[in-house]
Amino acid sequence: MKQAYQYPDAKRFPMKDFDMVKEGILSLIVITVLVLIVAAIAGAPYRPAVTNQQVAMQSPLVIEQTALGDLDGSGSIASYGPPYNNGTGSVQSIAGFSPQTWWGVSYPVNTATDDVITPLSMLASASGNSQLAKALSTYQEAPSATQAKWNQNLSNAFNKATVVGGTVKLPAGNYGPVAYMMNSELQLARSGLLSGALSRETNQGVYRFNVQNDLLFLQGDALHDIAGKTDLSGEQWGINHDEQAYPGPWWLTPYTFFYQVPPWNTSAAGDEMTAYTVGALFLLLLFVPWVPGLNRLPRLLPLYKLIWRDWYRDEKGRKKDNKADPGFGAQVGHNH
Amino acid sequence: MNLTARIRKQVSEQLSWDRLLPSEQPTYVSSLVYSFGVLTLSSLVVVIVSGIVMSAKSPVWYQTSTVGEYFRAIHFWSVQAFFFFMTMHLVVQFFMGSWREGRALTWVLGVLSFGVGVLTAFTGYLSRGDFFAQWNQVQSKDAFNGAGLNGFFNALDNGQIYGLHIAVLPTILIVLVAWHLIAVRGKGVVPPYPIEGNSGAKVGERS
Repeated sequence: MKQAYQYPDAKRFPMKDFDMVKEGILSLIVITVLVLIVAAIAGAPYRPAVTNQQVAMQSPLVIEQTALGDLDGSGSIASYGPPYNNGTGSVQSIAGFSPQTWWGVSYPVNTATDDVITPLSMLASASGNSQLAKALSTYQEAPSATQAKWNQNLSNAFNKATVVGGTVKLPAGNYGPVAYMMNSELQLARSGLLSGALSRETNQGVYRFNVQNDLLFLQGDALHDIAGKTDLSGEQWGINHDEQAYPGPWWLTPYTFFYQVPPWNTSAAGDEMTAYTVGALFLLLLFVPWVPGLNRLPRLLPLYKLIWRDWYRDEKGRKKDNKADPGFGAQVGHNH
Repeated sequence: MNLTARIRKQVSEQLSWDRLLPSEQPTYVSSLVYSFGVLTLSSLVVVIVSGIVMSAKSPVWYQTSTVGEYFRAIHFWSVQAFFFFMTMHLVVQFFMGSWREGRALTWVLGVLSFGVGVLTAFTGYLSRGDFFAQWNQVQSKDAFNGAGLNGFFNALDNGQIYGLHIAVLPTILIVLVAWHLIAVRGKGVVPPYPIEGNSGAKVGERS
């Protein structure tokens, strides 16, 4: 015969009626109504994503500088290292511990080819632009020392460049075909077609789930300039807060905290240090029941007395009664 | 040992309606703090329902249509509620020492739910399709790469982020939360700490 069910602690504590389902339904109704009202009144934060086209229109020089950095290898992604290439520029390591390098080049990017040469070849081909096709072949056939000289000259010239009518005006100099190539890249971006050319690199066909190269092209100055103006960069508690007046993912506060203080915010391996620090703290929280000291901390703090204040008040009363007549309350107790 | 019989016995004991839906509680369950758990669960229900509608309609819908934007707002605010109540629940359960008397697994499942909840929300933030998503994708790639997660995760691959957000992580979260609830019901809520009595003896402390 089936044994009648009894609440786990029913023999140790006095019980009372409790309608759990009613509490659940009530709670669900309250939360649903509240959320529907707040959502209707406040909406949700949304600022449209930034496109290459917008950057090209507003900051033409940024597009040309980014493209040149990709072409000459001085850009941050060109020398990033795993998972994008074999560079070392952004490889993080703590005393030789560098899990970033364990997986090799998982998501390969050759910035010169992927971001500049291939998109410009496509542009030359699509528009029948023989001047651009010739510029590309001139560049690719030139000795690397010559390429480096053109690139360096242009890079220096960008510091003195002016923007007139949406195009970059350069002082006279020996830039070989590179100045024309960079101007073509800018025009491609202005047309709105650069994103498509870049996304094409990281997808195998029609379906474009992966926007890696498009985002990597923008990830430097282009996005940092915009993010800095909206207080979203890392040293401004970045991810922690959303657009003005909306709450952000505040639960990441412990994570972003480490980006504000040394040695985490001064180390070249700051991301790695933060990730493993937060990982260790999470494990500490996970294993609180077994961490000596920490597992007894709530006993030492008086907050539990506030939470169970009714129970403790009643228990004192019960204890007095039990002295005269040891009844139910005498059984009340538990192992610590 | 008959595996079928063993599983049937375990399941019928652990998942009996008597155990899952007790109609009484110890008298010390008399504080508003006991509501944080159920409020967290209620918020999660709203998160999931709004999320299912959004995934049925596509990211373009929730970025461009009026109804879609409203559902995005519902999803946004229910996530805020979820984290608010979950954090309150976690803090209060810590101060109650709620892992005591064989309830360590309940605590562990709760903390794991919190951790998976954070990851789920983060992939959600990356799926918004706006500047905040775009910016955090390029920023977080360095964190994921530096931590060595690049072998598994590409923060710039929207297909992977979206798949993790709407299928993989919610499934893990729902399993953890369900298991957490079963564990809570299995052991019952944690009893109060014993306190010093008037005579100096600990009231109710079993020797």
